[in-house]
Amino acid sequence: MNGVDAVGVLYGLEAINAHNGWAISVVGVTIVFTGLVSLSVLISQLHKLVTLYNNPGRIKKLFALKSKSAAKAGTPKKHLVLTEAQKQICRQYNLLAQTMDDVISLPKLLRMAELSGLKEPHANINFLVKSGILCADEQGYFRWDEDRFIRAVS
Amino acid sequence: MDTLFLEFFQNTGFYLCDYRNIIMIIVGMIFIYLGIAKDYEPLLLVPIGFGMLVGNIPVFKGLGLGIYENNSVLHYLYFGVTQGIYPPLIFLGIGAMTDFSTLLARPVLMLLGAAAQAGIFITFLGALALGFLPKESAAIGIIGGADGPTAIFLTAKLAPHLIGPIAVAAYSYMALVPVIQPPIMKLLTSRKERLIRMEEPRQVSKREKMIFPVIAFLLCCFLAPAALPLLGMLCFGNLLKEAVVTERLAVTARTALIDIATILLGLTVGASTQGDVFLTQNSVKIFVLGALSFCIATACGLLFAKFMNLFLKKKINPLLGAAGVSAVPDSARVVHVVGQREDPSNFLLMHAMAPNVSGVIGSAIAAGVLWSLMI
Repeated sequence: MNGVDAVGVLYGLEAINAHNGWAISVVGVTIVFTGLVSLSVLISQLHKLVTLYNNPGRIKKLFALKSKSAAKAGTPKKHLVLTEAQKQICRQYNLLAQTMDDVISLPKLLRMAELSGLKEPHANINFLVKSGILCADEQGYFRWDEDRFIRAVS
Repeated sequence: MDTLFLEFFQNTGFYLCDYRNIIMIIVGMIFIYLGIAKDYEPLLLVPIGFGMLVGNIPVFKGLGLGIYENNSVLHYLYFGVTQGIYPPLIFLGIGAMTDFSTLLARPVLMLLGAAAQAGIFITFLGALALGFLPKESAAIGIIGGADGPTAIFLTAKLAPHLIGPIAVAAYSYMALVPVIQPPIMKLLTSRKERLIRMEEPRQVSKREKMIFPVIAFLLCCFLAPAALPLLGMLCFGNLLKEAVVTERLAVTARTALIDIATILLGLTVGASTQGDVFLTQNSVKIFVLGALSFCIATACGLLFAKFMNLFLKKKINPLLGAAGVSAVPDSARVVHVVGQREDPSNFLLMHAMAPNVSGVIGSAIAAGVLWSLMI
């Protein structure tokens, strides 16, 4: 398939190499993919921008939240001193939290604790919230603060 | 008097006729038959088919009748093809017809449109290997984009002498999408995959639809400025449609304007297939490469959909990958039909439109990229 014919026309791989075909193809495919991938990323966020535009209150809330969390980050967290029993409770609930998404719903956590047969789930979850290991995300859900948990049980 | 009769006879088509004209007239009739009787892309095949009849009436050179003769009416009409005027007008109409909702609801499906464009570049390599020059190869490769106007536009810019075979190949294969794609789809997917149901797309707001053409235009044309004539018109047409206040313009773009451009483009492209110019060894190669290009593009889309499923939590039906070739809306319709053969209650048409319209954008970008790499 490779070679040159009587009038000097290149064929096969020789022709592709001589005309820089591989590079053109790779560059072409890359540009098409880059274009469409960046467009798809952009339009996947478009509805969020439109929602923000439609509800300007959310933007204010977003900035308020940011400044709040920045203020929180500025103040050093108190080191928790827990009893062995409390540490055990933390470890048990950590196992439950690992089976859930990043965002934790308290009713779901409570139900799972009851199903797992943990004692006094209401009081213990209340303890986790107060100790800051379960922290509210201001949207009605909670997150498991892994750093705080490790420091508390270590 | 005998001499007069003899001279007249020597100027008739019967005397000047060549076997190549007869072949092309038969091909033209087949196109007309397929368009009317089989309903394969009639809006394209009927004008092209009749154009083939027009272009293959043997005429006495010098009378100013043939499409390749200066000052002939057909030559003036063909100007819109050779200068790339009709394709952007058709894109304006396509933009004014297209609803990008499903694409906006599930942007990840856009990747399928990108994957199918790999067929263009693989065919480009194939054409180079068969001895075509780089510019000719780029024009041949774009057939894999399954987009007639884009193929004509790029060929007019890079290899105007190949417009006839490339346009006819592109439109013929577009019309034959229902025949070409299903066997590849079945070959590359399992029954279980074909049965996958897509989740309902979210509701897309009017504002999103209005912003999309502006963003898509700016992003794509900043990336590949040579795609400007096609993407510019596509996005402009879509903005006219979505803006509502320009409904009158949108209606004109998607009815009268696109129809006029299609008639003129189809007829003149058909007429450009004069037997002596068209029936060459290169045309045969172009037809073979074109068919290959379509098959590769379809396969690339399907395989990429399967690849995406390796990472996606909610699996997509890999048949949608075949809609990444931009034959709008035929390939989406074929996906729907093949999906329904396995499960009549599985409606894929709406979902298949997403990769289908992203294929249009992808092939226009690919054309722009090839054009800029070749100059």
